[in-house]
Amino acid sequence: MEPMITLRGLGKTYSGNHTPSVDSVDLEVQLGEFLCLLGPSGCGKSTTLRMIAGLEHPSTGQIVVGGTVFDDVAGGQCVPAERRSLGLVFQNYALWPHLNVKENVGFAPRVQKLSKAERATLVDQALQTLAISELAERYPGELSGGQQQRVAIARTLAARPQVMLLDEPLSNLDARLRLEMRAEFQRLHRQTGNTMVFVTHDQFEAMTLATRIVVMDQGRIQQVGTPSEIYDSPANRFVAEFMGSPPMNIIELGHNQAADTWMKSRDSAATSLGIRPEDLEITTTPTPGKFSLPVTVSALLPTGGSWIIELTDGQQRYFATSQQRPALTEGQQVQAVAQKLHLFDASGQRRTNVEAVAA
Amino acid sequence: MALLTPQRERSTPATEEKNSLGYRTKIILRHPATLLGVLLLLVFGYLIVAPVISLLLGAVQVGFGDEAKAGAGAGSLTGYYLDRVFSSPVSDIIFYTPLLNTLWISLCSMVIALALGVPVAWLLVRTDLPARRWFSSALIVPYMLPAWTFALAWTTIFRNRSNAGQQGWMETLGWEPPNWLAYGPVPIIVIFSLHFTPFVILLVTNALKNLPGQLDEAARICGASSQQRWWRITLPLLRPALLSAATLMFAKAIGEFGVAYVLGLPAGFQVLSTTLHQSISTQQSGIAAVIAAVMVGLGGISLLVDLRFLREAKRFTTLNGKATLTKTQPLARWRTPALVMVGGLFTISVLIPLGTLVLSTIMRVPGDFSLQNFTADYWIGHDLPTVGFSQGVLVSAATWRAMWNTLWMVGLAALCTGLLGLLVGYVVVRSPLRQLGTALRVITFMPYLVPGLAFAVAYLSLFAVPRGPIPALYGTATILILIMIADEMPFASRAGVSAMMQLGLESEEAAQSLGAKFSYRLRTVVLPMVRSSLASATLLPFVSGVQGLSLVIILATPGTELMTTLSMTLIDFGYTHAANAVVVLICAIALLGTWATQKLFRSNLADSLG
Repeated sequence: MEPMITLRGLGKTYSGNHTPSVDSVDLEVQLGEFLCLLGPSGCGKSTTLRMIAGLEHPSTGQIVVGGTVFDDVAGGQCVPAERRSLGLVFQNYALWPHLNVKENVGFAPRVQKLSKAERATLVDQALQTLAISELAERYPGELSGGQQQRVAIARTLAARPQVMLLDEPLSNLDARLRLEMRAEFQRLHRQTGNTMVFVTHDQFEAMTLATRIVVMDQGRIQQVGTPSEIYDSPANRFVAEFMGSPPMNIIELGHNQAADTWMKSRDSAATSLGIRPEDLEITTTPTPGKFSLPVTVSALLPTGGSWIIELTDGQQRYFATSQQRPALTEGQQVQAVAQKLHLFDASGQRRTNVEAVAA
Repeated sequence: MALLTPQRERSTPATEEKNSLGYRTKIILRHPATLLGVLLLLVFGYLIVAPVISLLLGAVQVGFGDEAKAGAGAGSLTGYYLDRVFSSPVSDIIFYTPLLNTLWISLCSMVIALALGVPVAWLLVRTDLPARRWFSSALIVPYMLPAWTFALAWTTIFRNRSNAGQQGWMETLGWEPPNWLAYGPVPIIVIFSLHFTPFVILLVTNALKNLPGQLDEAARICGASSQQRWWRITLPLLRPALLSAATLMFAKAIGEFGVAYVLGLPAGFQVLSTTLHQSISTQQSGIAAVIAAVMVGLGGISLLVDLRFLREAKRFTTLNGKATLTKTQPLARWRTPALVMVGGLFTISVLIPLGTLVLSTIMRVPGDFSLQNFTADYWIGHDLPTVGFSQGVLVSAATWRAMWNTLWMVGLAALCTGLLGLLVGYVVVRSPLRQLGTALRVITFMPYLVPGLAFAVAYLSLFAVPRGPIPALYGTATILILIMIADEMPFASRAGVSAMMQLGLESEEAAQSLGAKFSYRLRTVVLPMVRSSLASATLLPFVSGVQGLSLVIILATPGTELMTTLSMTLIDFGYTHAANAVVVLICAIALLGTWATQKLFRSNLADSLG
């Protein structure tokens, strides 16, 4: 089947910059997908989204949506944003303060010159979907952050876009509302079957919502995959370190005696190895056949429900996590045993024969 | 990537380059801000650039009638005017003395205004001075009124026998003021200082409010006394604001014409603006052009200095400039002296001048305070002995005609200015061609540097005769409206840019992504959202247009008489009562307009300075 969105060699260099903000991005988004662009701030994810929406213009490459070429730099073709029928939900919602909720939501149907009855139906439907029918007459200034967010989504829904684009939709909400809206997005995606692309810097948001995640850094795609693929088999060190909190423990080979001894004759191409905190088991004696580090417990940090254990071997810090209260005391000498290892080569790419090493 | 497909990449770089250029051109051309920007460039090219260029060219081109003196045909290049202004026997009289006068007068009034304004601003913001909120708006009044109003009040009190006309109050009361007090540099400096002090108060008050209170508190925790905190922390942080205020005052003082005209000329004291006026009224347009160019240059220098200070100020404000409530400092036993000082400033700068003007219109003999000397005749009387203006100001048809002319012409000009300013803001913020926005910004700022008189001369020479499809405009309302639009553009375009910046891109982008075309977005989203900025960007030019004198004094004709030109005409006739009454009316309109702007739009007066 023809993908819903195709990006080919997409690049964007802002005038005055030497390095591109988005660099030869190739991507296909399938119909009905809930795709997440994830990366640290400044990685080019929002720019990519805005280029799809037509609000920024690429310096190279092609954007094809629903079989129509929207941008083709080499071919000199460009469809203006207002004729793309894509919905964009802004980070700050961008509700118009001089229009009430109903007028905000009814904007797109009015632009599309629909009849009065059709317009009313669309607005009512959109408001119902977001469960905000009772706010219809209010003005944006009279709404809470969460309510504004719902209105912004309803406004986009009422336009019946072929794709919904969401730019950091949850970043302006407090923690509790964010959780609530995450569930809301999931429901919305199931209910409407819309293709959705959203941008976030929050890995948990991406993990919980997306059917597929695109991890970006410095304008380039680092990895594309399902949440579990990304987490369990990160393609490179950037992805490995970006995903997970506390972050993956990385040991540079050549400086750490325990690791060097363990790696000798196992994988000569690896230059660093990584262990996720939850894969570090704390024991009092080394486990034969597994990589273990002799370390000292330097701190125990309760996070409510689970614990972070800070360890040190005199050279660097390591983090381990535990779901139970650890029976450890600060200063205690222990062994940190790796249940699973990730190996990376000199260019930071992941070595794919890791499981064999860890077993 | 390049390694995989070297063939394809190398075979067509030229065509791809060409096509991607086509893509970029397409985007730029299709953006509505591009067309809008080009149209605006044409408009301002006509309204601002053409007059300024013709003005500057006038300095090096032989004018009509000067062929014999310059020894060359009209229109050819010449150094005659430069020579005459800078190195001829009359240079001292027509240029160097006025220049020096201008410089030292500006400097003195700048220093006095700072010395008065800074402590007052501190008292208003940081202490428990009684009625400080009331004072902080009351003390701003002089800035809202034309400076020459105060000159008129001054002559009403201190006029002496060295000039014809009615006697001054002091004279009537039995004391003849000496010449140095009645005319010349001393009164000019006093009036400039009083006029500029509110400007300093406004800027410094604003800067003080934006200084985070924690800075002062941090110093207090470190054990600094209040004096140490003021000299070591607050004042250094205010330095950019102070320097900026100083340069702006300097630029304004150079261009100010009315005060020197009223107070300087009777004593033969010339500054640049009055020599400029003199050379214009004696038809020496080449000389006028040279003097105007020097004034533009001085304005340009002070602007560059100001920009420098602004950059420095930006370095300072990297700390979060969020206004925090600072605890006010109790004045204790200094409370009464401070109140007396601030009250005294209010009395001298507002109460006495305005009171004098109002009283002078209802007293038959100036300075005679006996009851039977008071009369309402000059306002509502008939058959007064003043020939040519024999009716009271409020019943004279001439007043109402001038008032009506002022209201509709200035009103229309202000409305156009506000709209154009917003459009400039739109292009600056939205245009994909950054140069377009920059060009518009620079061009719309040019009138700030050109003294009103010189600008008027340029308009006169450019639009007095038919040019192409445009008929001769001299004597029409159109030329007055056009020049008022051009003159207010520096403020309007700044206001427009900041309104559009504040609006941000997202509101319009949201409409765009929902399918709305440019005109629809402009109508339903952009304009409604900036309507309050538009209103204040209209009212403030209106207020300053109503009091504008130097811009219109040579362009207004009896058919297009405005309030300000009417009052000057009355002064020239020596009809002080009527002239002052007209000035009182102007003040009333200006104050009402300012008050309305503040009340209706809660706009910050400090934003409108300049």
